[in-house]
Amino acid sequence: MAPRYRMIYFNLRARAEPTRLLFAAAGLQYEDVRIRRDTEWPALKPNTPMGQVPVLEVDGVTICQSNAIARYVAKETGLAGKTNLEQAQVDMLVDGMGDLRGKQAAIRKASEDKKDQCKEELAAFAPNFLRRYEELSGPHAGHLVGDSLTWADLEFYDVMTKVLMYLPGIIDNLPKLAKVMDTVPANKGVADWLAKRPETPH
Amino acid sequence: MPSYKLTYFNGRGTAEIVRLVFAAAGTEYEDVRLEQDQWPELKPNTPMGQLPILEMDGTMLCQSNSIARYIAKLAGLAGKTPLDQARVDMVMDGMVDMGNKFAYEIYYEKDEDKKAEKKKDYVEKYVPQFFSSLNKLASDGGYFAGDELTLADIAFYNMTTMVNPYLEQPLSLDGFPKLQKVEDNVTSNPGIAKWLKERPETPY
Repeated sequence: MAPRYRMIYFNLRARAEPTRLLFAAAGLQYEDVRIRRDTEWPALKPNTPMGQVPVLEVDGVTICQSNAIARYVAKETGLAGKTNLEQAQVDMLVDGMGDLRGKQAAIRKASEDKKDQCKEELAAFAPNFLRRYEELSGPHAGHLVGDSLTWADLEFYDVMTKVLMYLPGIIDNLPKLAKVMDTVPANKGVADWLAKRPETPH
Repeated sequence: MPSYKLTYFNGRGTAEIVRLVFAAAGTEYEDVRLEQDQWPELKPNTPMGQLPILEMDGTMLCQSNSIARYIAKLAGLAGKTPLDQARVDMVMDGMVDMGNKFAYEIYYEKDEDKKAEKKKDYVEKYVPQFFSSLNKLASDGGYFAGDELTLADIAFYNMTTMVNPYLEQPLSLDGFPKLQKVEDNVTSNPGIAKWLKERPETPY
């Protein structure tokens, strides 16, 4: 029987990866469709809600916007936060991480002559940002919110893996955040996914 | 019921969506508007050094859409089913994209010629295409999710009215009848109608 969920994106991690991590962490089956930008995307684009991917198809409905998709899957998998307040805290942490994700993505997208400037901007932005996140991190070691894995932890792991490429020691003195980087890959579903997921440029 | 305190600057800005949700929900809150010189002292005591923040029962939330979603959920305005909630979220995010595109490509553009060109492109190409997509997502009754007002409808109204003052004329909803209905549903909501009449006049 076909899985109930079908996610369509390019053959990249990027904006789809947090949702793939959610599915993996919960062991929830889904169809991980990866389309070619040159040959397949032009035909699909007008049939998406806002002309963008990723999209998630479920029960005849198509959802777009990577965070909307991730939040839906997080709720389906019980990883969105256990109370309304925890969900709001997860949401706000993920929203904030958008800034960090943007700054590191800017490095990749920049032309060669601008890359160093973008790296400096990330280096200037990250320390304060991460210090605040260390403070915002809840009391349970290895989890940003509450006492168990949430979308916030997976999003953090995904973004920080990329940030650490440019700023390798940046969370060495931030123990709660460093622990999240251990806790996430310790989840069996995540570990299996990390081992088998396709190698992609980003 | 907890006491809510929303803090922002004296403007609509990124706080207005929260104020509109409070209005639609009929929930009391303290609408704190800071002067610029009060901000430096508060900034280090906020979760991410940004406004708006919502304080309630000793907890502080930040990030305007997360705050809006939290209040909307408590008032049943965030979508009744998980899929409706996802629809609400995707429209909200789409409206943020529309606002960000305006801000980064036009508002912050210093070159006057580039600015004018980008504005033309925004008004003549980007917005009509985006509104066409949104019109398909809205129901005949003028709702983005289910058959009642949600945060998505409010977000549509808020962002379009946020951008309009910076354009030569307001963005047109001609050819998008369902979006016109969405706007009417928002402005005729009793709580929102009252707020629109009473809210302070501010430059942004």
